[in-house]
Amino acid sequence: MASPTQEGTTEPAQAGGLPQFDPQWWPGQIAWFSLIFLVVFLLMRSVFVPRIGGTIEARDAKIEGDIADARRLKAEADAQAQAAAAETAQARAQAQKLAADARAQAKAEISASLSAEEAKLAETTEAAEASIRAARDEAMGNVRAIAADTAGAIVAKLTGQAATPGEIDAALAAKA
Amino acid sequence: MAAIEPMKQFLIERVEWLPPIVVGGFDLSVTNSVLMMLIAAVVIVVSLGMSAKGAIVPGRMQAVGESLFDLIDGTLVTPIIGHNGKPYIPFVFTIFMLVLTMNLMGVVLAVGHVGGLDWTFTPTAQLAVTATLAVITFMSVLVIGFIKNGLGFFKLFVPPGVHWAMALFIGFFELISFLVRPLTLAMRLFGNMLGGHVVMNIFASFVVALGAVGLAGFGLNSLGLVGSGLSLAMVIALTGLELVVAGLQAFVFAALATVYLNEVVNLGHGH
Repeated sequence: MASPTQEGTTEPAQAGGLPQFDPQWWPGQIAWFSLIFLVVFLLMRSVFVPRIGGTIEARDAKIEGDIADARRLKAEADAQAQAAAAETAQARAQAQKLAADARAQAKAEISASLSAEEAKLAETTEAAEASIRAARDEAMGNVRAIAADTAGAIVAKLTGQAATPGEIDAALAAKA
Repeated sequence: MAAIEPMKQFLIERVEWLPPIVVGGFDLSVTNSVLMMLIAAVVIVVSLGMSAKGAIVPGRMQAVGESLFDLIDGTLVTPIIGHNGKPYIPFVFTIFMLVLTMNLMGVVLAVGHVGGLDWTFTPTAQLAVTATLAVITFMSVLVIGFIKNGLGFFKLFVPPGVHWAMALFIGFFELISFLVRPLTLAMRLFGNMLGGHVVMNIFASFVVALGAVGLAGFGLNSLGLVGSGLSLAMVIALTGLELVVAGLQAFVFAALATVYLNEVVNLGHGH
């Protein structure tokens, strides 16, 4: 790009080149800048850096503390959840045990009453059998007397002579 | 046709409505340069005062101030110097904030002639200012170096475990490179601000000059409007670039100051 008038022609301070090299304004700039630098530096050191740095540190510490708190609370909650789960499991086991116990007790009771009934039944049967046996024995005893009577009567009819009870007994005993 | 005077923006003038100050034959009057420095200092103090409220949840100003502080503490001083660098944060932060504010004022406050004063002025484009800052930095490093290490400070120029003749040879060049630091610090900042503002000023002059050509007639003259528009686009782009340079040069100055401080603070500690 061509420029028609690159260099200014009517520039008073440009006679010696750049205005920056004009020594007239150096002492003022040096003195003022040094003073300003010193003031800003002292303010930085005593106020701004401690405050801003302190704030950043405090924030970091707070975030770290909050995270630690959250971690601790989470661990607590986890522990509580675990405890609750354990409690539930225990309660369930207890309930199962209780149910099993009840079932076993009921079974035992049933079997006990069953055996009692059976025993009673057996006793009744026994008694019945005993009475039957007694009745039969009695009947059998009667049969012997009847047989002796009949035998005496038969002997008397056939022989015309009554046999003695001793003879009949002997005959019955020999027959039996 | 408007004259293109890219150096006029660097002219220093005494502020007329303030009394002249002369001390020991030196003219220490408040000039436009000094006034801009004072404004920069006020801007720094007010903005940092607003951002030093100490709220755990920061507002906007506090967030900006803390970001800048963290740039110096978290990016420069602590990583470079280490945890014994804490005492040097105020110094580096002062350098950074002053250079950044003065650099930015040169771009943001470039509103021209308002209220009897030319506001388009950049203190950091003044060699006197950058040289003063460079010398302050250099002298601080020197003083801290001697306080921290005594005469051991001179070990800075001699690499350990080298033959004495070689050490003498290397030490000579190390000394020169050390002594030339204030010059490079001053020239780097000065040159960057000077160059950027000169180029911006030239392109801004083209906007007016070529626009005048374009408005003077028809035909080929209309090409002037095209050139004027292109120059305007260039000025806008350069403004963005200058904003970046303003921040970057402030950071570079602060970073170099930190590196120089680190050399004398951690002298002989495994560096």
